[in-house]
Amino acid sequence: MITLGTQEKNTFLADVNRRSGANVLECYQCGKCVSTCPVSGYMDFPPREIMQLIKLGQRNEVYMANSTWFCLTCSACSGRCPREIEIPSVMEAIRHMAIEEQYVNSSAKVRSIRKFHNIFLDMIRRYGRSYELRLMVEHNIRTRDLFKDVTLAPAALLKGKIPLLVKPVKSAQSIRRMFKQAEKLEKKQS
Amino acid sequence: MKKITYFPGCSAHGTSKEFDETVKMVMKRLDVQLEEIPDWNCCGATSAHTMSEPLAYALPLRNLILAEKLDNTTMAIPCASCYQRMKVTKTHLDHNPALSKDIATTIVDEGSYQGKVAVKSMLQYCYEDIGLEAIKSKVTRSLAGMKLACYYGCLLTRPKAITQFDSPEYPMSMDHIVEALGAKATEFDYKTECCGASFSISNTEVVISLTGKILEMAKESGAHALVVACPLCQSNLDMRQPQIEKHNGQKYDLPVFYFTQLMALAFGMPEKELMFKKHIVPVEGALAQIGKIDPEPEKVKKPVKAVEAESEVI
Repeated sequence: MITLGTQEKNTFLADVNRRSGANVLECYQCGKCVSTCPVSGYMDFPPREIMQLIKLGQRNEVYMANSTWFCLTCSACSGRCPREIEIPSVMEAIRHMAIEEQYVNSSAKVRSIRKFHNIFLDMIRRYGRSYELRLMVEHNIRTRDLFKDVTLAPAALLKGKIPLLVKPVKSAQSIRRMFKQAEKLEKKQS
Repeated sequence: MKKITYFPGCSAHGTSKEFDETVKMVMKRLDVQLEEIPDWNCCGATSAHTMSEPLAYALPLRNLILAEKLDNTTMAIPCASCYQRMKVTKTHLDHNPALSKDIATTIVDEGSYQGKVAVKSMLQYCYEDIGLEAIKSKVTRSLAGMKLACYYGCLLTRPKAITQFDSPEYPMSMDHIVEALGAKATEFDYKTECCGASFSISNTEVVISLTGKILEMAKESGAHALVVACPLCQSNLDMRQPQIEKHNGQKYDLPVFYFTQLMALAFGMPEKELMFKKHIVPVEGALAQIGKIDPEPEKVKKPVKAVEAESEVI
């Protein structure tokens, strides 16, 4: 439930503006972003409503919504926004803040998206490069959807579309250090 | 001979090997030498900027620093996603020197960043630096007869403030390139709609729906094939096409070429080296539009045709 009428200063709006470099207050709710967004139909709140919730200081609602996880960062919205607000940067800022403050949307779709990104990053941590076959197989295992895309696999593998192995970077240590330092910085921010 | 820095990206070793190979072939023909960044790493793609702000900048920054150690002023990147992560990072750091120092000294081991290398997508490099006239002058086998829908996706032209290239709504650079090769570019309204990108694995239904609309509009435009400049767009449009056809109960039969595969084809390079066998949707129907292809055009016709093509340009 959304409760309005808070007397406190809207620190959430200030935080989002600072992290995103955008000014959410500029939004005058025309809805052009919603009609442009290819995935607004999948979102709990489409971009226009996310902007309004930020203005109203509804930190919890915004963090828990699936909207930021569905944003594809395609920038179609910001290209057409009459107020020229960088909406994808706003979506990204609230996602980073939600992760750092440990808010978790546990719907199956958001879980699947997060798992995908975590597996991908884990591969980069290990090899310095991405490894498509492992990404697909591991995602199937971790979402317990073992036979997803199994019919695609023979053609893709036979045609050499998806290679069996990855060639890791030589400076593996420097990549691992990068991940450790990044983690420290994230903790500092939250 | 010009020399530029080359960042192939992870998919060049996997799903988009045909992009990487044909980029190398056409650049050689255009007298451009590609110098690959030694020991480059993954740009982080969608996952790094989705999950972590420091990683989103650190991973591309390591490559930018390594690129500066080579002696070239321009870096060209075939993959649209690698290109965008690199360009976003560059733009951000160029405007916030304090931040670049912060990330470079605390996270990235490879040294400091100076911002002296220009970052371009391979499409942008071909269009701006090589130019249509130079491309036209190398055509020995015109693609006349082939109608193509050029699909740019989101990342090559958007956001405008970052890419500084072509139109974010209705770009034309790839259309001009395929027309320089002799083909006809169709009017295609979905050329910058998103294909669903990495949801291909994590939320496949979204990709089936978004990519389905792109295929439908391309078919409606009268195209024999789609042309792309992004590995993820290619794999969503090509590898998922049979699934989408089943889902929509329609047959599209639209092969999805990289623009460099078509450049190599028009430059008269042997068809078997263009890796058409890797395509899931068969390419033969679209290729038949340009007439019977000589199995060894390189050896037999090159000298004669090259002269013809040059005189056409003049």
